[in-house]
Amino acid sequence: MANMNDILSGLDGLAALPQTVLRITSMLSGGKASASDLEQAARNDEALTLTILRWANSVAFGRPGCSFTLRQSIARLGNSTMMRIVLEQKTSAMFAGAGAAYGLQRGALWRSAVGGAITAEALARRANFDGPDLAFLCALLRDIGKLAFDAYYGPEYLGLVERHVRPDRTFVGAERAAFGFDHAQLGAELAARWRLPERIAECITFHHNPPETAPAHDVLFDIVHAADIIGLWAGLAIGCDGMQYKLAEHVRVGLDLSRPVAEELIACTWDKLRQTESIMDQTVPQRASA
Amino acid sequence: MASSAPSYSKTEVEGKLVVGVGDLVVSRDPEALLVTYALGSCIGVTVYDPIAKVGGLLHFMLPSADLNKEKAAANPAMFGDSGIPLLFKSCYDLGAVKGRLIVCAAGGAEVLADDGHFKIGSRNRTLIRKIFWKNNILIAGDETGGTNSRTLSMRMADGTSIVRTQGSERVLWPT
Repeated sequence: MANMNDILSGLDGLAALPQTVLRITSMLSGGKASASDLEQAARNDEALTLTILRWANSVAFGRPGCSFTLRQSIARLGNSTMMRIVLEQKTSAMFAGAGAAYGLQRGALWRSAVGGAITAEALARRANFDGPDLAFLCALLRDIGKLAFDAYYGPEYLGLVERHVRPDRTFVGAERAAFGFDHAQLGAELAARWRLPERIAECITFHHNPPETAPAHDVLFDIVHAADIIGLWAGLAIGCDGMQYKLAEHVRVGLDLSRPVAEELIACTWDKLRQTESIMDQTVPQRASA
Repeated sequence: MASSAPSYSKTEVEGKLVVGVGDLVVSRDPEALLVTYALGSCIGVTVYDPIAKVGGLLHFMLPSADLNKEKAAANPAMFGDSGIPLLFKSCYDLGAVKGRLIVCAAGGAEVLADDGHFKIGSRNRTLIRKIFWKNNILIAGDETGGTNSRTLSMRMADGTSIVRTQGSERVLWPT
């Protein structure tokens, strides 16, 4: 059986994290994103420019039909929304063709990544967490370990893990029984190789098992974990792993999650996700041909 | 010819009419295969009139439109109590007759150790039973609950409804 190093070393087929995402990650870890950096990222990318223009001129931003230049659009959207748009678009190619290992349709992993990110941002704002953009980014990248398993094993993955699935065992438990590590641990190792900040790599490690007590406890991990579970309820990327995951009790209590809150988040996430998909379907060539 | 209610994510892939999450499709095209993927706690409902050869598939997420009336008005297929009536009405509009409709359902799974705090899948299961019981409609075939992801499909030529999960497949109707 391959170890983590075998898998990550053999990943020629897995696209590297785009430089733009690395820059934004670094900006987020160090404080606020710079508008000029975001504008620079957009200027060199025709599809991204189109997406930004469509967002700025959409109903969501209040004055449909008005025509804004790129610079006006960036100012109009604000740094936080701009960053979200750039991240969504720049990671779409990475996630687009993946998912066969988990029995997912094309595009489902990207939809899950973005849907989870939208939910995490909303949870962060609800919890007054100082860093909703960071929560968005961490949730967006939480399942990069699935990308790695997918790229290395492809459809063979399912045969390796399914014999370890038990009714009372989480799917990450089945992965650990099959491979000695799970997709969260593999994703964290990939994040470290991409030189992402340690807190982001840890968030990926703990997105299914957030630590309950100090010093390891971090509200960011709780938020991303809860967003992942809410994503399951929302029907995002439910593949061969089904619903074999658990919401940590301390997260339910700590974030004051209840059924009505979860249902409202599910409905809101889908609204935003559809809006994102609608705009990207018109502006990102590889999505149109998917 | 396929026809659909307001649709957000329906796509046609290799002859399949793919019904997205919170969406429904109705059809009277005998060549069509309606399919919906990734049913977790969501529920997929198929209806089929074998005489008119009209049918539809709904994939709803949450039980009650009371959660948000505005969202339910914009997208009734998101909720069971607004999506199911719309599914039936859309089939009637294409010539289906209530007394002949064959109904199947799949989905309504739960995450592990929910401990009764959320029960999203269970509430969806309760909702369909309540609606169909109140309207004197029997569910001809169903596979709900558990923790697995399911794919539900229906062949418009004869209404055959099939649920697939973890590599296995079961015909819900005809039984």
